[in-house]
This record gives sequence, structure tokens and C-alpha cells, in this order.
Amino acid sequence: MTWNISFPNQDMGTQTDKLLGIQIAFSSDVKTTLITLLLSVGLVATAQTQTTATLSPADKQTADAFEKRVKDYAKLRESVEEQMPKLSKDAKPEEIETHKKQFQERVRAARAGAKHGEIFTPDAQALIRRIIKDEFKGRERTEFRDTVLKEAETKAVPLKVNYPYPEAGELLEMPATLLLRLPQLPKQVRYRFVGHNFLLVDRENGLIVDYMTNALP
Amino acid sequence: MKRAFVSFILAIVFTFSTAYGQSVKLTLPNKDNSVRFLVIGDTGTGSEQQQELANIMLRYRQVFPFEFVLMMGDNLYGSEKAVDYKKKFENVYKPLLDQKIKFYASLGNHDESNERFYEFFNMEGQEYYHFKKGDVSFYALNSNYMDKKQVDWLNDKLATDTAPWKIAFFHHPPYSSGSAHGSDTKLREIIEPIFLKYGVNVVFTGHEHFYERIKPQKGIYYFISGASGKLREGNVKQGSPLTAKAFDRDMSFMLLEINGDQMYFQVVSRTNETVDSGVVVHHEPPKSTKSTK
Repeated sequence: MTWNISFPNQDMGTQTDKLLGIQIAFSSDVKTTLITLLLSVGLVATAQTQTTATLSPADKQTADAFEKRVKDYAKLRESVEEQMPKLSKDAKPEEIETHKKQFQERVRAARAGAKHGEIFTPDAQALIRRIIKDEFKGRERTEFRDTVLKEAETKAVPLKVNYPYPEAGELLEMPATLLLRLPQLPKQVRYRFVGHNFLLVDRENGLIVDYMTNALP
Repeated sequence: MKRAFVSFILAIVFTFSTAYGQSVKLTLPNKDNSVRFLVIGDTGTGSEQQQELANIMLRYRQVFPFEFVLMMGDNLYGSEKAVDYKKKFENVYKPLLDQKIKFYASLGNHDESNERFYEFFNMEGQEYYHFKKGDVSFYALNSNYMDKKQVDWLNDKLATDTAPWKIAFFHHPPYSSGSAHGSDTKLREIIEPIFLKYGVNVVFTGHEHFYERIKPQKGIYYFISGASGKLREGNVKQGSPLTAKAFDRDMSFMLLEINGDQMYFQVVSRTNETVDSGVVVHHEPPKSTKSTK
């Protein structure tokens, strides 16, 4: 594969390189191709190794049980949503707003007795804490703590089951490598970091399904 | 007669100047049969500055008939009531929407998942999706939540994609010289191997509120265009080894044109200055020699 990139002379903005007016050629000879190929294979292998969580039989049992509890929630909220007018793929903003509000109200009513810790049981919490701690080490841990605790706009998020995650609250990016190691969730539910806490949030109605504390290493 | 003709031309020029302000300077070739589009990112403020940049886009539309716009996420900052969709998006880009320009959105860390249902974001109810324009295959990803389902979908989709141009766009930049955020290495660890394996050529992202063209990384071209509604002035780390070109003094957007094996780009600021431009040329080797390398 051969790539060329050229840039006509410009004299605007923050000019952090002096490549202007120069044609740069990225010619790949056999050696370069082989190196790239080996690098690619290596990276794929690395990614697969790092993203496959190897759980002990006991941990696997804990993860399976946790996943089942989340799926039960997903089934419940699906049964609620099925009784509502379906939101089209080209909805108006008013329709999106109305649907979310009604969906929230109905799921809150259906889960009126939901309690903190019903899904994040103590054994599930312990497993998840361990996975998170293992994922972030050294400098990565410090940086991630800074992102979650100092930079994220999540201070207004209430730590209450069956309460809505505020619209204006930031939905902090979930680190991709961590997501591949945690117990898998159905598409309707998301993990979210809020301060030291770890939440399960419904992606459509925005309700906090459950949460656990002291999750951040 | 000649004088009358000159007066007529001047009158047209004056009228045009009055109507559209400062003229635009297109550096793109604007060839027939090109795929023409814009890249904007981190737009959703509804601010006066966002509107000013949108006005520049409209001016370019007069001379460069782009058909669609890629959105790099953070489409709506703050609340997401119906009124916010109008204030932070519809009202700002109304003239483009009126001209049937399609916007293809990706989700950022300030976007609710429900945006995927919004008629003008063309997401077909999905947080990640694929579409084609001519020879160009576009992958809108949700970098905010790159879970196993999405990784599997991306692998499956790319495995059967024979398009010569494969472009991915999403919010968080795998490479960045930003002081506030920087490179998203966790995301990069997962998606870069997939991009390399299946030959993704170009990646557009946002999140950092500036423009940056990254030096090619393992043959992939990364662009950050996250200053179409917010600006983090002076945030690019000076002397960063990643930077090929950066602009962090004002808001900006990108104009793109793909024709055959060439992708031309032009980056325009809120004050209608061209702050970067160039062409990426992609040569596929003849199929007969491909397997010998």
C-alpha cells in the first residue's frame, strides 16, 4: 500500500509543523509491509488477550447471576415499553421528550419497591471492584481518578435507585478495555462511573437501576 | 456598452458581497462525481459563535455543494428537552436543513442515547451504524460505550466491506495533543487493531475543542474537528510529536472531497480563514501483486 499526502502552503493558525509545501511519500516496500503486518497481528493478539477476562468458576457463577438479574430488569422495562407508543427512527424532539418522560414514570411505578443492592449484591460488588482495580494500575489509575473525580460533570447525579440520571449530567466515557472485562449487560442498560460510585443506568429512560459505592480504586 | 457591462458585473459582486459577506476561498478541486461533505464536532451549544460558523458553512455551500455533514458528537450540551434540539441544532443549521443536507451524528459524552431517534441525526435508531456514499464507506461509532456488542458489529461489518475508502467517525480521539484530554489509549487499544486489520483509511473525531491533523499513525490518518461549537483556546500541546497541523485559536469545521483515490480537505475558521488544507492519496496495489507482499 502506498500513501501520499501533500499540503499547499498555508500561513494560518497554530502552525506546529513545517511540512507545508512539501510532498511526503509513505512508500511501503516489502520490509515495511511485513513490519506493519506483524504489528497488526501483534496488536490484535494483544487486544484479544487483554480483553478476555479469565474468571474462576466461583467468579463466573457470580457474574452469571449478576447478568441474570440485569436481564430480569431489562425484561421488565421491555414489557413496560411494549405497552407504549413506539418511538420512530425519525422522531421529532417533542416525541423523544414525551416518550422518555412517560417511560420513566411507568418504569418507576413498576419498580416502586426496588432497593439499593438488589442487583449489585455483595458478591457482585466484590467481583466488579476487583476487575476495575485490576484494569487501572499505576499512572493509568491516577489519570482515571482525575477524570472521574475532578473533570466529570456528574456532581448533580443523585445516588438513588429508580431516580433519573440528570439530562445535563455528563455520561462519562466507559473505558473500552474495562467494558470488555466486566459482566456483559443487555443493550438497554449501561455502566456509569459517578464519583467513587458505579451505576447501572437505563439508556433510554435514564433511570438509575442500581448502584454500588467505593468502586473507584 | 463595455462600461455598462462592467457596472453590471460590479453590481452583482456588490450584491453578492452584501448578501454573503466576505467571499470564500475554496482550495478543493470541486470535481464532478466527487463525494462532498463537512465534518463538524462538539457543536451543541446554540451559541452566537456556533451560528457564525454555521453561516460560513452556508457560504461554502454556494460554491461547494456538499451533500451531507458528519457530526463528531456532543451534539447537545446540557439538557435535552425538545426546545434544546431546536435551539442547539435545528435553528443553527436551518438553512442547511432547508437545502436537504443530511446530518449523520455520532454520540459524545454529553449526548443521551435517545438522540439516535432524532429525525435530523439520521442514525436509524442505532448508536453505531454504517452507510455508503459512492466508493466511501462510513462507520459512525459510539466511542462513549465501546462494548463487546459494538466491537463484534464493527469486526463483522468491516470483514465484508470492499469499499476502497473506509472512514470511521466518533467522539473520542485515539490520538490527540490536547492538554485537557489527550489520546484515548484505552479506546485505541481496542479499535486500532480492527482498523489496521480491515484497512480503515481515515478517522475523524472530536471531544477536543480544537482542530488537529495527526501525523499518520500506522498508515491511518486521524483528524480532530471538535471546535464547531466550543473552543478550548491554546489547548494543543506545543511541540507534540503527534501534530502535523493544529489550530486552536478559533472555532472551525472541515470541508472534504473524495474523488477516486484522493481525499482533499480544507479547514475553515469562524473568521473564514483557511487554516489547513491538503490531499490524502490512497493507492491500492494491483490485485495480482497484493498477495505477493
